[in-house]
Amino acid sequence: MRTKVLLAIFILSMVLPGPAFAEFDENSKEFQNVVKQLDMQGHADDELSSCKVKQIYYEEVVEMLNSGMSEEEILQSYVDEYGQAALRTPATDKSGLVAWGMPFAGMSAGVAIVALWLRRGKATGEKEEDMLSEKWESQTEKEIAEKMFEEERRKQF
Amino acid sequence: MYLIGSITLYLGIAIAAYSIIANLIGIKKQSSRWLESARGGVLSLVFVSLIASFLLLYLLATSQFQFEYVAAYTSRNLPLVYKLTAFWAGNAGSLLLWTVLICGYTAILVFSREKHNPMMPYVSVILLLNILFFFTVMVLGGNPFAMTDMVPADGKGLNPMLQHPGMILHPVTLYLGYVGLAVPFAFAIAALILKRMDAEWIKLTRRWTITAWLFLTLGNMIGGWWAYLELGWGGYWAWDPVENASFLPWLTVSAFLHSVMIQERKGMLKTWNISLVIISYILTLFGTFLVRSGVLTSVHAFGSGPLGTYFLIFMAFMMLLSIYIVMTRYQMIKKDTLPIESYFSKESSFLLNNLLLVAGAFAVFWGTMYPLISETVSGTKINVGAPYFNSVMSPILLLLILLMAVCPLIAWQKATVERFLKNALWPFAAGIAAAIILVAFGVRGTFAIIGLASTVFMFATHIQEFVQGTMARIKATKENALTAACRLTKKNQRRYGGYIVHIGIAVIAIGVISSHAYSEEVLKTMETGESLAIGDYELTFKGLSEHTKNGNGIVAAELETVYKGKMDGTIKPEKVFYETWPEPSTEVAIKTNFTEDLYVVLSSWENRDKVTLQVKVNPFVSWIWAGGIIMVLGTAVALIGGKTTSSRVSKALRSGR
Repeated sequence: MRTKVLLAIFILSMVLPGPAFAEFDENSKEFQNVVKQLDMQGHADDELSSCKVKQIYYEEVVEMLNSGMSEEEILQSYVDEYGQAALRTPATDKSGLVAWGMPFAGMSAGVAIVALWLRRGKATGEKEEDMLSEKWESQTEKEIAEKMFEEERRKQF
Repeated sequence: MYLIGSITLYLGIAIAAYSIIANLIGIKKQSSRWLESARGGVLSLVFVSLIASFLLLYLLATSQFQFEYVAAYTSRNLPLVYKLTAFWAGNAGSLLLWTVLICGYTAILVFSREKHNPMMPYVSVILLLNILFFFTVMVLGGNPFAMTDMVPADGKGLNPMLQHPGMILHPVTLYLGYVGLAVPFAFAIAALILKRMDAEWIKLTRRWTITAWLFLTLGNMIGGWWAYLELGWGGYWAWDPVENASFLPWLTVSAFLHSVMIQERKGMLKTWNISLVIISYILTLFGTFLVRSGVLTSVHAFGSGPLGTYFLIFMAFMMLLSIYIVMTRYQMIKKDTLPIESYFSKESSFLLNNLLLVAGAFAVFWGTMYPLISETVSGTKINVGAPYFNSVMSPILLLLILLMAVCPLIAWQKATVERFLKNALWPFAAGIAAAIILVAFGVRGTFAIIGLASTVFMFATHIQEFVQGTMARIKATKENALTAACRLTKKNQRRYGGYIVHIGIAVIAIGVISSHAYSEEVLKTMETGESLAIGDYELTFKGLSEHTKNGNGIVAAELETVYKGKMDGTIKPEKVFYETWPEPSTEVAIKTNFTEDLYVVLSSWENRDKVTLQVKVNPFVSWIWAGGIIMVLGTAVALIGGKTTSSRVSKALRSGR
């Protein structure tokens, strides 16, 4: 009995037209997930109606989804064919570490530099404050001396 | 005509070279006659560049197809306005536009009230170097007056995508921004050469910098608006290399506009500010190099050619010159810097702001250049597209929004935690309330909700600042609320202008976050009478029609729209078949309301009764344009009345030093 049922299902699947099984189309979430990751040979941001390349990609992805391929398999099939350039982003594995990591490395370096600069600046400021309070007896004397130093500095540099 | 055009270009080279020499002799001999002569040279350059520009406009308007440029970018049936705006549609014309703008800027400067300022001859030399370069480049590889071998019966016509009001304004505003950045750069270099390490150059260039930033903002906003209306892919920012190139100086100048306040108040960050100005200027050259070199693929690029190499050489020259001058004056710059008094102060928050903005600029730069770097180093082509930039920039922009939310609440010099918490309480509560309301209304997406709540927090902080200021004024002067608010703004235009800009950014952020996180899209083939539902809209296809306009064939699909159960008129997405262009152009149909845009593209059709439509609902996109207008207004407020911060320290630094 079980064999008969399976046989009937198989025959039906052969007889019924293809579209009856076409559960995925351009509005499917799975389709959107795939196409938004594909570079489509630089045509990803083109307007669909006037871009033949994008239209072909759309058709291919719908076909692949309906043939039972998963999102990952479809993306991998494009990567196998065109290399990493098939996708719109660098790989998220080890090979894409530099691409993804550099902005954050840059920012971390920036944070470190600013922190160091702030600490040094604050320490120098405190030190200078102590020195100034000891050295200058009046504001006028300080200003005159500073002016002289400045003139000397201009000559030197 | 060819002769007049070409003579103007060669004259431009000669006069620019003469003016540079005259300035240098004038500086060396301290001769006002030579300097006066150099000023006359600048005036002649304005005259020469204007003659070239008007000549090109005349050639374009009268369809003189014996000229390569006219034949390449116009056609007989092109409307006059687009014939004229074809001026900047191509490489050669845009170079001329750049040249005429920088000549104008230089003339305004050298004939301004500050014309006898000792820095001015140096400023003039730097700007004249730019002018000399542009005239030379036009002669070498981008002559707008080059002639065709055979005169064609008609021109190739203007790319239909460029036949849009956005394209009338976008390049001009962007170039005004780019060129404007040459002014603070020239002043910074002049100040360094003269060893004037005070804030004078900043004071003199404050308006120039803000104006350049204003135009960069406008240029980017109009570019986004054009892309949204004209390109038909439903977005406004694609993180395209050329778009990134115009965003980079915007980020660095934004950083400069904040850090400069620290220099004015405390005499700090001198090296940093000079570096930011230099980087911003170099980035404008970098953007121009990207557009003209063809090293990266972009819809905005003018294609490959030798011009990229010229720009690369000029960029390298300017960079090396700047580095040399900064290095030789480094000890001078280092002096006079006052230390920061507290980690918890407005100064520190501005530092953090600078860090984020520059980190953002670095991330954008890295992402833009990575395909090239990767291909050069490993031989592997790797794309860096919008998903990469969205992932990398989202946390940075979120942090910036949060910083904008807290920064106005932190005092200069030394803030106290108690006072900060007291001030932050209501804006923070508003942000939390916004998050709760969004979740309660069924809005999903953690990152989007965090972004929106942070934006509300930022918005509320600024509103609170206005309210508190107004209340204090009412208490002191007994004015009515409106007068008090207006006078409060007028008394401190720089500060409140900045706040208005921040409010504009908040409005834009709501539009960007919502349209990214909550847009809906349907691609559907429909027959006459059939309907589709998307969001709160229901669209019914009524039929396809054909007609001609200005000699162009137009196919339009008529759709009846129902919004929230009520009739909302009809819309007609179109395909336009231009006589002079091989590909049909898409005319998007958009219905805008306060909270969302219905965005319909006629994708294809089988017959009069069967079409395929791409329909999108993009939430809050109109807020992006509204935010842009608010930003421009805020910048105008800061620009018109703002004065540089005066403080005891900055006065002391300026006086006699």
